[in-house]
Amino acid sequence: MKLIQESSKTKIVSNIIVAIVSFYGISQKQFDLGQPTIFHRVVTEVLAPVQESLASSKKSFSSLWQNYLMIVDTSKHNQVLGKQISRLENDLTSMEEIRKENLRLKKLLNYSEELPHQKVLAQVVGWDSANEFKVIRLNKGTKHGVKTMAPVITDHGLVGYVYKATENYSDVLTILDQNNRVDILVERTRTHGIVEGVFNFRCTLKYIMKNEPVEVGDKLMTAGVGGIYPKGIKVGMVTDINKENFGMTLSIDVVPSVDFDKLEEVLVLIPVEGAVAEAEVEATTVPVTSEETKK
Amino acid sequence: MRMRFSQIFISFILTVLLLIGLEIVTSTILPAVGWKEYRLTFNVLIVLFLALRLESPLVPWMILGLQVVHSVFSIEGWALGTLAGLIVMTSANYLKELLHLTTAIMTMLTVQLFQVIWFVTVTVIICLKISDFDKFPLIVWSFIPGSVLLSFLSPVLFWLLEQIWRVPKEGGPRGVEI
Repeated sequence: MKLIQESSKTKIVSNIIVAIVSFYGISQKQFDLGQPTIFHRVVTEVLAPVQESLASSKKSFSSLWQNYLMIVDTSKHNQVLGKQISRLENDLTSMEEIRKENLRLKKLLNYSEELPHQKVLAQVVGWDSANEFKVIRLNKGTKHGVKTMAPVITDHGLVGYVYKATENYSDVLTILDQNNRVDILVERTRTHGIVEGVFNFRCTLKYIMKNEPVEVGDKLMTAGVGGIYPKGIKVGMVTDINKENFGMTLSIDVVPSVDFDKLEEVLVLIPVEGAVAEAEVEATTVPVTSEETKK
Repeated sequence: MRMRFSQIFISFILTVLLLIGLEIVTSTILPAVGWKEYRLTFNVLIVLFLALRLESPLVPWMILGLQVVHSVFSIEGWALGTLAGLIVMTSANYLKELLHLTTAIMTMLTVQLFQVIWFVTVTVIICLKISDFDKFPLIVWSFIPGSVLLSFLSPVLFWLLEQIWRVPKEGGPRGVEI
């Protein structure tokens, strides 16, 4: 009897200690910026290469399924021929994939040429394993120049910003995440608003007053306010406007410019201090005429 | 049945390795084949097994350890899941007379019930942290499809974990004492 009581006392004490530690952890947790601990650095550096190799063998998974597992029931002769065709098809698919990758990378680099940033090309190697967070893992880290809070883009538009970086890998908080808020401009009306992630790979546009002439189909771009994203990067398009709520602002659905379902390569933009400052000055300075200079 | 410390240690390491394997499936393999919208949160299932099947003062510490490993794969971190795990474990203790995970259907239903408790806890904390309770129904709803699929998978995963932890079938509904 005494033993049972002691055991239950130990359980209660154990529960209380772990609960206190958890509450402390929750109070310290920031969902918009993270610092990796030594444990995280070490484990990420060990496990992320496995994720990277699995992510890159995506094509092998699908070709294995399509080219081998589906021909189990055919005759031996057909199997031999089928295997030969599969191998050739596989080679063709690989070459086609390489060609497509080249095209994508070219487009990506052309798109970012005008931006006064150092660019780091990275591949997506994983997604956050929790349902409620939309975070991607990239195969480039601080060793390659990636910094926290650096914006991440594709040729289609904005992906998010670097939330946390280890030596060789970094985690990006995408614009689909509820903790990521992007200051935007409606391209046509120049109205400011905030784009926030919701679920099902969509976003919502907030703080647009009901009297603003925003329409379905309006394109959104970054406003360059807040110090994370440069101005003028495509964010998404207005797909639905709900005016029937009781507030002063509209409830607007936004579909992101980037197709997150097909996200493979991204560019991390590392601000080059001088160049960014120069570009900002150029963007904000009104050209002065010679007469005005004389005056 | 009582377990020795060395047995507990080995079983725990095997559980961690299983978690790492399943986290890689969720975070890399499933998104690579196009499954990106809903995540299978296997860490929840493993923590539920520990909470429902083992009785020990070490269980909270093991939940903490598993959540720390999970935090490598998610910005959710370790603290939210640990607290949710403790709440599930405490609820399971109160309901232990009613819980009999002897059939696959009972296991699925029990797992679904405790997943709901888990997700509601986590969502309330997230909404408190981001000061936005408007998102509560959306976040809870986003959990549902994945959680139903996890419940279907739970008999298989529980069977695997029973082998790792050597929980005897005749050991009663609440498993082994360690």
